[in-house]
Amino acid sequence: MTKLQAKSEVSGFVWKIEAAPGQRVAKGDTLILIESMKMEIPVVAEADGVVVTISVEEGAAVGEGSTVAVLEV
Amino acid sequence: MKDDAKLRPDLRLVLDAQAERLDAARPKAVARQEKRGRWTARRAVEAIADADSFVEYGGLVRPATDGMEGAADGLVMGTAKVGGRAVDIVLYDYSVYAGTQSAMNHAKITRMFSHAEKHRLPVICWLDGGGARPHDMHVVARPSTPTFVVFARLSGLVPTVGISPGRAFAGHANLAGMCDVLIATKDSAMGMAGPPLVEAALGKKYTPEEIGPASVHWASGVIDILVEDEAEAIAAAKKYLGYFDMELPAGEAPDQTLLRDLVPENPRRAYNVRTVIQTLCDRDSVLELKAGYGKAAITAFGRIAGRTVGLIANQPMYLAGAMDTPACLKMAHFVQICDAFDIPLVVLCDTPGLMVGPEVEKTGLMRHSARVLSALANATIPVLTVVLRKAYGLGYYIMGSRPLEPAILLAWPTAEFGGMGLEGAVNIIYAKELEAAATPEERAALHASLTAELKRSNTAVESGAKFLYDDVIDPADTRDILIKTLETLPQPAPLATRKRIIEPF
Repeated sequence: MTKLQAKSEVSGFVWKIEAAPGQRVAKGDTLILIESMKMEIPVVAEADGVVVTISVEEGAAVGEGSTVAVLEV
Repeated sequence: MKDDAKLRPDLRLVLDAQAERLDAARPKAVARQEKRGRWTARRAVEAIADADSFVEYGGLVRPATDGMEGAADGLVMGTAKVGGRAVDIVLYDYSVYAGTQSAMNHAKITRMFSHAEKHRLPVICWLDGGGARPHDMHVVARPSTPTFVVFARLSGLVPTVGISPGRAFAGHANLAGMCDVLIATKDSAMGMAGPPLVEAALGKKYTPEEIGPASVHWASGVIDILVEDEAEAIAAAKKYLGYFDMELPAGEAPDQTLLRDLVPENPRRAYNVRTVIQTLCDRDSVLELKAGYGKAAITAFGRIAGRTVGLIANQPMYLAGAMDTPACLKMAHFVQICDAFDIPLVVLCDTPGLMVGPEVEKTGLMRHSARVLSALANATIPVLTVVLRKAYGLGYYIMGSRPLEPAILLAWPTAEFGGMGLEGAVNIIYAKELEAAATPEERAALHASLTAELKRSNTAVESGAKFLYDDVIDPADTRDILIKTLETLPQPAPLATRKRIIEPF
């Protein structure tokens, strides 16, 4: 088992959190939606795994490249 | 054969001299490279050139300075076949005085670049070295060094590929900066001046990695392709040169029905346009350039049914696909490569327009967005445009719009045409009505209903009825229509003269 960090590719605000700790996710599933430039930009699971932590709250500001969730894959 | 005692002395002299430059005769040099964790130049030649195809030029050359020794004076060069294609290759050998540029190897490389110009051969440069060799200051009557001028004149005439497998500073960085495509390993370092010069000028000691690590050059757009190691670098160079075989047998097509759902129904939802590119092109045929830079756009080479194409696309995942200065610079450079070598261009449009605001004006966006439009307007290559979603304003105008006379202009069902976003348009068109609303809630409701109404009258089919596009299509048919359109566009005759230069950036 290895830990995989899910990162936001853009800076913006957390619009919606679509996964919860303990949840099993498949590669490509949306974990979190970031709002930037009036667009909802998904942060997706890079691999099948289980969500360990969600490290942001809805409405929080995130920077480009910052970790928003951790998966165990 | 060399042990044959019957060999005449003159031939033996030649054979012994030839053997001296090879790795087998240079265990100390090989060990030094091993200690650095790098390949020798000879090993790189083996990996780049097709088996038994390398013909060496200037292999017997020695340093001009008395008392100095160095195999081939630190530059291995010659002609070779690479993937069946004739190429000139030049490799600086770091084990000879840190790969430095000397009086003699300047003369050598100038010879090779002139050879490439005369015979129209692509050039691969292995740039592992630290600029000029100071010892050469002692060379009496140091000759002129046209290296960089001759190389600059290859621009647009033949494809040039640089590989930075370790250190490329000063003169080596100058060559790297002029290559059409620059490939670098993740642990490499490059810079216009190395540690001694930086310390002399700025009074501070830096390591090469502190001055110009690959991560910095990847983010600045200097590096086109970032790789793990030498083997990957060479594979990338071969893949890039492979596109100049313009027509190969058709590759495997990915499942095209995927395209129907790639653009989300929710117009606010972003998607990764890389998936569109990967799905339209033959499997494993895509090579993206400058992925670490100008992320609001994607530039890539690929094959569609075996035919080489360039692709530029807006990336909704970044800035919603709004075109900022880095995205424009990246696209303008890419269009120039395609135009110089007659590679058809597929344009995938989904942009809310050029990026706006005081910050982007500080970056010179007025001039840099003009580069893309100017490159496309003056290009003679066929452009095949597909509007995936937003086609707004000057952004769309640049992204292969009708006035640019694309060979075909297609739109997906999600295509939205307009001078600006519909929400913004409603604010302007219905400003009075919205102003008159009694409460903010009423205003929001009115805005939403007016936007929905405008959207209904602005579907892709309605735009098709106004002949804004040549057709609105099932996304799953896109590849097929692109193939048929490419088939109407015969391969142009080989260029007898240079069509254009490719600006270094």
